[in-house]
Amino acid sequence: MNSVDEILDFAIEREQAAADFYQDLAERASSAWMKDMLLSFSKEEMRHKGKLKSVKKGEKLLSSEQQVQDLKISDYLVDVEPAGDISLQDAMIVAMKREKAAYRLYSDLASKVDDPDVKDLFLGLAQEEAKHKLYFETQYDDQILRDN
Amino acid sequence: MSLKDLISPFYVWQRAFEKPYTQKHPIQERPGAPRYRGFHVNVLEECVGCGTCETICQNHAIDMVQVEGLEPKPGDSGLRPKFDYGRCCWCALCVDICTTRSLRMSNHYAWITEDPTDFNFIAGADNMSWNGEEYGYRRDDDYHLLRGERVKMEMLAPEEGLKSFEEVMKGYTEEQAKDEADRCVECGLCVATCPAHMSIPDYIKTVREGDYEKGLRILYETNPFSSTCGRICTHRCEEVCPVGHQGEPLAIRWLKRAIVDRVPRERYREILGDEVVENGKQVAIVGAGPGGLSAAYYLRRQGYGVTVFEAQARAGGMLRYGVPSYRLPDNQLDKDIEYIRSLGVEVRFNTCIGREVQFAELIDDYDAVFMAIGLNVPSSLRVKGEDHPRVLSGLQVLDDVASDKNPGVGKNVAVIGGGNVAMDAARVSRRMGANVTVLYRRRIADMPADPEEIHESQAEGCTFVTQAIPVEIKDADNPDQVTIVWGEAEMVADEKGGRPRPVLQEDRMHEETYDCIISAIGQGGSLDFIPGDYRDQIEFKWGKFVPGDYQQTALQKLFVGGDIANNTADAISAIEDGHHAARGIHKFLTGELVA
Amino acid sequence: MIYAKRRKRMSTQEHNAPIDLESGKYVKIWQGPQHPGITGNMALELVLNGDEVVDCKTHVGYLHRGFEKLMERRTFIQNFPIVCRIAVPEPTFNEYLYAAAVEELAGIESPQRAQWLRTLNLELMRLASYLMWLGGIGASFGQATIYQWTVTHRDYVLDLFEEMTGARVYHMYIVPGGVRAGLPEGFEDRARAVLDGVERLLNEIEKVLFKNVVFKARAKGLGIISKEMVDPYGIVGPNARAAGFTRDLRRDEPYLVYDQLDFDVVTGTESDAYARAKVRHQEMREGIRMMRQILEQMPTDGPFQAKMPNVLHWEVPAGETYVKAECTRGEYGYYLVTDGSQYLRRVHVRGPSYTHAIAVMEKLAVGTNIADIAGLMVSLHTYPPEIER
Repeated sequence: MNSVDEILDFAIEREQAAADFYQDLAERASSAWMKDMLLSFSKEEMRHKGKLKSVKKGEKLLSSEQQVQDLKISDYLVDVEPAGDISLQDAMIVAMKREKAAYRLYSDLASKVDDPDVKDLFLGLAQEEAKHKLYFETQYDDQILRDN
Repeated sequence: MSLKDLISPFYVWQRAFEKPYTQKHPIQERPGAPRYRGFHVNVLEECVGCGTCETICQNHAIDMVQVEGLEPKPGDSGLRPKFDYGRCCWCALCVDICTTRSLRMSNHYAWITEDPTDFNFIAGADNMSWNGEEYGYRRDDDYHLLRGERVKMEMLAPEEGLKSFEEVMKGYTEEQAKDEADRCVECGLCVATCPAHMSIPDYIKTVREGDYEKGLRILYETNPFSSTCGRICTHRCEEVCPVGHQGEPLAIRWLKRAIVDRVPRERYREILGDEVVENGKQVAIVGAGPGGLSAAYYLRRQGYGVTVFEAQARAGGMLRYGVPSYRLPDNQLDKDIEYIRSLGVEVRFNTCIGREVQFAELIDDYDAVFMAIGLNVPSSLRVKGEDHPRVLSGLQVLDDVASDKNPGVGKNVAVIGGGNVAMDAARVSRRMGANVTVLYRRRIADMPADPEEIHESQAEGCTFVTQAIPVEIKDADNPDQVTIVWGEAEMVADEKGGRPRPVLQEDRMHEETYDCIISAIGQGGSLDFIPGDYRDQIEFKWGKFVPGDYQQTALQKLFVGGDIANNTADAISAIEDGHHAARGIHKFLTGELVA
Repeated sequence: MIYAKRRKRMSTQEHNAPIDLESGKYVKIWQGPQHPGITGNMALELVLNGDEVVDCKTHVGYLHRGFEKLMERRTFIQNFPIVCRIAVPEPTFNEYLYAAAVEELAGIESPQRAQWLRTLNLELMRLASYLMWLGGIGASFGQATIYQWTVTHRDYVLDLFEEMTGARVYHMYIVPGGVRAGLPEGFEDRARAVLDGVERLLNEIEKVLFKNVVFKARAKGLGIISKEMVDPYGIVGPNARAAGFTRDLRRDEPYLVYDQLDFDVVTGTESDAYARAKVRHQEMREGIRMMRQILEQMPTDGPFQAKMPNVLHWEVPAGETYVKAECTRGEYGYYLVTDGSQYLRRVHVRGPSYTHAIAVMEKLAVGTNIADIAGLMVSLHTYPPEIER
């Protein structure tokens, strides 16, 4: 995996996998409203996928120098097992942690390659994932930590 | 006739050599005195369009008009005064009474224009040569046409309050209420902001006139929880009261209470004249909180048979179980609820949807259903060690206290959160003799709790530690205690304009040990009882209903409201949701509302 | 000589004989309502026998603006910008009396500092009004230079008003409850400079007008008000004082801070146009003396407004009152009736011009030379706007 297209294909696949993950979870969900929620997560991942597809067509990715704010909310939360009766709060924790993991993955990959173009691409993807995480963290802050 | 008398007039000649008094206008300009009442200037950004200038103008020289590019927003009507200089007499009463002090005058003397319509202008918005001039008439600091100080209400001294659950605020005397009501400028900005759009200036007027019966009738047009709201309303009306710009806003909430306190419950029916003529249709309401019972009241008045399903043993919802009695005594909540029930509203207690009754049954058996189930599932911290037995939920503590159970908080308590539940949990703990520390992730100014609650909590001796983020809960050396690890936070602005976000500073961590930790960081709802088959017919977002017009959902029989369907999550919004849904249900059942 | 001749003619005139206009002996002319010799907007219907006035009828009504009725339709605060317009050259007395009457009925007491500021305002007003009058009396006897001088100095006083109140003519400074602002910085010194200037001017006018042979010849013996006339005709103020009555509300029934000021009540003996001018001239000096004391003694800090109810729904308890003050023309009074609502039930404004310009004028005009009618009228110091509220 060293050409730009290959890397993007990999990333696109990962977003698709994430969408599938939420889709699958939604199908197992016992209540109507959580099903709805998880499907919206899935839709969010599909949106990310669309974004990467247009990057492949030549759209600019976030510059690797631009730092996305890290609210660090997910860092100290306990891990959650995704199950059919998952609560909203837990579903959001899962989402935050998955985005964080993706961010780490791309950051690690970036540190392991020498080609400056490829390195830049990985860092850009990492920032993209950080943005996704910020989205979920902000929602978590507003919806779950209303009074805090 | 003396010679002197003949010569004397020639004294005038000496003046012939003096410097002339007159000035050569317009070559020489003579500036007006610094406080000269010249032409009007209005600082558009400071003006809130309350229209008090228009009210006081005895010449009707002022019209409140829309200004291009200015949108109405909470606390700002979006209107600005337009002056007719064919009528103005330059008395500057408008300047004197201006609630924001945005209205002023320049010290400009003359204005010449060929077009007489120019003399009709919007101060501050139209481009006038004197805009921005340094001097001109301003209201003097020591001169007031409006009283900025609120009439103080007698309250229990904090040390007294801590001894019991007695109501802290004592209410206004008749004279105090009149005095406070006198401060109103009747602009109506409050009406626009109040979620229930209560006719605030009208009922304040009844306080001034001492006509409490009329006042009660006005209150019940929009709010059947007036005794409750007169005590614990989040009073967004007061935040926009223009009198607050140069002083304290009107105590609108206390004035509502002043009316209700003066009318005995037994006389409600006679004064309100509520007659129920059954129309044969049946409506089910889920949740006997403010939203549900408000809908029940307005539906019942229109003759609907109303059955309320309530999971708890008593009615009132969060007002009963979430608001301690020192803020809202039980008998005051009962006053509101009893009257609603006296109209023939049936309440089935200890009945939970999905357990005793199924959702589908409601939809099938009733002509319409209104759901206002509230948010009663506390969000949990989800940090490591949270399942420690000494970590309690704020809601549970309040529920215990409301049910006369001892929550057992111990002597040293940390409360996590900055909402009203957190404040109440803290104050309840103080009343049980504990030392209380409130840990909050943001700053005091960011707290969602009512300012009064924050203030009273502080007065009662709660310690506030702000910008503190809990990261872990650990066992303490003593098994009856618990240790919390928290880190300091820096605030960062939200890019999208939301509230500022705290960011953990990992190098600044603290550890403290308490007898218990009360977590009150927010609540969520549970909609688990709605079977999956209804998913396509009901819209959800972040765990809440998304209502359409008149609180209706795509499942036409289902109307929703209250905390589970709005983002404000307060009693007054729930009351309005209930009222609005009642209107919607009536329209729906009379065929007027076609979804 | 000239005086004696006129005296004689007056005494021979048969006042009670019916005037037969068809006889060809008489000419009827109107002086006013637009006429430079008339103060304000009113008319004198004169019947002349030669150049002697044998009958005078006054006509008012050209200036009626219905203030008293307007005031019944406005709230208590909304009235204060109206009242000043009742007497154009002396708005301040209306402001003060209206405020004082409302305060009395509402049970409000204006703070000490407001009382000093009000007194200063009223005395400045008296000075400005007298300056204008002094010009008028000069001009009506052909001495237009005097008018130019005094109006100039009046403008300097108006400058002070502009600084103090924000307006030159309709000050709208005295409001129910107090005044609208304290003195601006450095006002006292500028006020003293203006007062010094006016005092110098008064000395000059003493020489140029009062010692002037023409003025003496025409004003002396003109329009004599006998002592017996004063009470039946309701004559007050300088017109009464020039007839030897020591009457002045500021001394007799002190209001505001007049009891803390040292001043003399000026009187005359001759009771003619000259004596009345002299009394006013001297009163200006007394006024300047008072203002110097005020500037010296008045408190410079403290509240200038009483604690007020919200003026938007201010209800004044039912009651009635009559308040009065000594304006330049004498006793000026406001009669207010309230019924406990937000509006006045009735207001009656009683200015001294009512008698001076109508009844007194009609009596004194008879026997006067037509050329002196303007001078006579000015010497009574009347303001038609206050006749027609």
